Amino acid sequence: MNNVLTAIQNEARRILQEGIVDVVVGFEAGTLQLKAQPFFMHKADDVDKLVWNGFCQNNLATYLTRLDKQQRIGIICRGCDSRAVRTLVMEHQYDREKLYLIGVPCTGIVDWRAVQRQTGEDILSAEEIGDEIVIATPQKKWKFSRAEMLHDSCKRCAHPNPVGVDITIGELLPEGDPQQAFTRTREFELKSAEDRYAYFQVEAERCIRCYACREACPMCYCSECFVDYTTPRWAESMITPSGTQAWHIIRAFHQAGRCVSCGACERACPMDIKMTYLTDKLNRDMLDLYGFDVGENDDKQPPFAAFSLDDRDRFVK
Amino acid sequence: METRLLKKSQLLSFIAGLMEQQAVFAPVKNGDFTQFQQINQADELDLESTHNTRYPPKALFQPQSEPLFEFRDGKFVSLLGEIQPRIIFGIRPCDVHALQLLDTVFNAEGAQDPYWLAKREKTTIITLGCEQPCSTCFCTSVGGSPFDRRGSDLLLTNMGDYFAFEVVTERGNALVQSMPVAADGQANDVKDMQTKAEASFPKAFDPTGIRDKLYQLFSSNYWKKMQESCLGCGVCTYLCPTCFCFDIVDEKQRNQRVRNWDTCMFRVYSQEASGHNPRPTKLERTRQRIMHKYAYWLDNINEIGCTGCGRCVRYCPVNLDIRWMIQTAQNWVEA
Amino acid sequence: MNHQPRIVVFQCQFCLYAETDQHWMDHELPANFKLVKVPCSGRISPLFVLNAFQGGADGVLISGCVPEMCHYKEGNLGARRQLDEFSRLLKYIGLEEQRIRFAWIDVNQRGRIQQELASFEKDLADLPRNERLATRTPVEQGALQ
Repeated sequence: MNNVLTAIQNEARRILQEGIVDVVVGFEAGTLQLKAQPFFMHKADDVDKLVWNGFCQNNLATYLTRLDKQQRIGIICRGCDSRAVRTLVMEHQYDREKLYLIGVPCTGIVDWRAVQRQTGEDILSAEEIGDEIVIATPQKKWKFSRAEMLHDSCKRCAHPNPVGVDITIGELLPEGDPQQAFTRTREFELKSAEDRYAYFQVEAERCIRCYACREACPMCYCSECFVDYTTPRWAESMITPSGTQAWHIIRAFHQAGRCVSCGACERACPMDIKMTYLTDKLNRDMLDLYGFDVGENDDKQPPFAAFSLDDRDRFVK
Repeated sequence: METRLLKKSQLLSFIAGLMEQQAVFAPVKNGDFTQFQQINQADELDLESTHNTRYPPKALFQPQSEPLFEFRDGKFVSLLGEIQPRIIFGIRPCDVHALQLLDTVFNAEGAQDPYWLAKREKTTIITLGCEQPCSTCFCTSVGGSPFDRRGSDLLLTNMGDYFAFEVVTERGNALVQSMPVAADGQANDVKDMQTKAEASFPKAFDPTGIRDKLYQLFSSNYWKKMQESCLGCGVCTYLCPTCFCFDIVDEKQRNQRVRNWDTCMFRVYSQEASGHNPRPTKLERTRQRIMHKYAYWLDNINEIGCTGCGRCVRYCPVNLDIRWMIQTAQNWVEA
Repeated sequence: MNHQPRIVVFQCQFCLYAETDQHWMDHELPANFKLVKVPCSGRISPLFVLNAFQGGADGVLISGCVPEMCHYKEGNLGARRQLDEFSRLLKYIGLEEQRIRFAWIDVNQRGRIQQELASFEKDLADLPRNERLATRTPVEQGALQ
C-alpha cells in the first residue's frame, strides 16, 4: 500500500504543480479509528496529508456534481468510483476534458460496523497489516481477516479496476463475473411474496429520512428531488410506511441502469439499512434484459435512455 | 437530597415495580442498535451498551412526525390527546441537559408549545451517568459532565454491584422510598467514582471565546474549508439532541397538519417561495449550523447549544467532526 | 374472495376508438374503476403506479397503443421499458404480479378494453384486497375505499 500511496501522492502533486487541475479530491486521516475523511487538495503541500487505505469509505464521485463546473478536478478513483464518474460524464454532468482521473485498483473497503460488532465500540487503534486488520481495544488485541471484514458490496464486487482513467497506479486485480454481485437478489426472490414484503417493510421502517443515502450517492444530483414535490405529493415527508416505502422504491428505481453498486448508500445510513438489495435487483435486470453493465464503456446508452421495437414482447398481445 | 442504593440483582424488580405504575421507556437492543422504546418486560432493558443510542431521546418529546390536528367530515379534530405519565430510564446526562436547552425553545415566555409541555410535564427522568467516555463523547468540553444532575429527577451511578440513586427532585424521591439510604462512606465512594470518571473524559477543545472567534471568522476562508466535504444530508441534525427545527406540512392526502423534523442542511430548508434562498450554498448552511450551536445559542441564553453527545461525530458519513471544526476555528489564522 | 376489486386504469387517450370504446370508458365505466387519461402512455411514470397502489388500488391497468401506432411516434416504447421494469421491482418487494397489467391496444381492436377490464377484475377478485403497499390513508368517502 505504501508504494501505491507514494505514487498517488506524486501524481497528485504533479497535476497540481503543473496546473493540470485546480483541486484534487482524495482522503485524509479520519478523526476516528476505521474512518477516513474526504479531502480536497488545492496546493501541492496539501498532498502530504493524503491517505489511501481500506477506511476510505466514500464514493468521491459524489462531489463532482457539487463543485463548480468550471474547475478542473482531479479525483482518485477505484473501480466503482470511476464507473460513477463515467456515468456522470455520459449524463453530461461534467466535461471529461476538465477531469483528471487517477485510477487505483481496489482491494475493498473495511466495514467499520462489522468490526465494531465483534470488538465493541471502544477502539484504540485499527491497522491494516497485510491480509489482516489488527484492532486494539482497552481489553484486548484482535486480529481479523481483512476479506471477512469488507463491506458487503465490496465482497460481491466484480469490478475492482478503474476504467476510463488518465493513469492507473497499482497492480490490476482480477475482474469478476458481474453476475456475482447479484446472487443475493436471486436468493431473495426465492422467498415468498409475503416474506419479501415483510423484509422490505422492516428495512424501510427504520428509515429517518435523513437522505444520507441520496447525498452519498454520486448518481443522485437532481436539483429538486421527487421527495420534495408537493404537487403531486409522491412521498409524504412524515415518517410513515407510505412516505418511507415510496422513498425507498423510487430512489432505487431512479438508479436503474445508473447505480454502480458501490454501497456508499449503505455505509452512509445511520440506521444500518441495507438498501442495495433493491438497486442490485435493478442492475441485474439491466444486465439480463438489456446486456447493460453500468460504466462499462463510454458509448452504450443506458437502457432507460433508449428503447427498441425489439423489446421483449412479453406483454404485447 | 440523599443518595439511596439498589443492588444490581434487584434492578429488574425495581423496574418491574415502576412499570406497574407508569409506562417505562428505556434503551432496548435491536440487532446492532439501541433505541429508546417503551418496554413491556423489565428484562428488555439494555444497559450494557457503553455508548448512547443513535436516535436521540428528544423524539420522546418532539416526535419526528407529529400530527397536530386533522379534519374529519369537515370538522377540526385536535390530536393533542391525553399524555399518560411515563418514566424514561437510562437516559444520559448529555441528552437530559439537551432537553433543558430545548425547554428554552418550546417553553419560552409567551411561546409555549402545548405538545412539548404536555409530554414534559408527565415525564419522570431517571438518568444514568457515564463512568467511561466513548471515543466520541465530549460533554466536558461544552460545559457538561458525565454526572451532570441538571434536568434529572434521579441520577444513577453504576458502582459495580450496586447502583447509587441520587435524588435530585421530589418527583424522583417518591420512587425510591423503599431503598436504603447510603451511609456517608458509601456516598463518598460515589462521589469519588464520579470525579474520577469526569477526569477521564478527554477534552476535545477549549470553548473559551468560541462565540467571538466564530463571528470573527464569518467571512473568512475557514468556512470554505469546513464545508468542502459536507454532503448536506440530515444525519447530524436528526441525531442531534439539541436540534429542534421543524417543518409544518398540510398533508392533504391524510387530512392532517403535521409537524416533522427539518434540517438546515437541506437546500430547500431556507428556500423561499419566490425562489430566493438566503443560504444558497453549502457554505452558508454549514456556517449556520456551527454558528447556531456555538455562537447564536450563546447569544440567546449564554449556553453552548451542543451537549457533546457525539452522535454527529460517530455517524457523519464523511467523518466531518464538529470537535475538529471547533478546534480548527480556535486555531485559525487567516492566510 | 367476494369483493369488488378497486382498479385504476391509466389510459392513453389515443388507443381507443372514440365513438364506442372511449365513450364507454368516459361514461359507463363501473364505479370500482378509476380512469386516469394521459396524452400518451409515455407520460405514465412509475410514480403514478405506486401512488395508485399506496392509495388502495387492488390492481392497476396500463393501456396504450401498440408499437408503431403511437400518436407521438415513440412515446409508448419508452414507457414499456420503464413500466415493465417497475412492475418487476414491485413484484420483487412482494406485490403480487397479477396486480399490474398492461394492454397495448390497436385502435381497431373494438371492445378489447372492456374485455381486458372484465378479465382483470375477475382475476383480481381471486386475490385478497391489496394490503401490501396500501399504506396511504384514504381521505374521503368516494376516494378509493
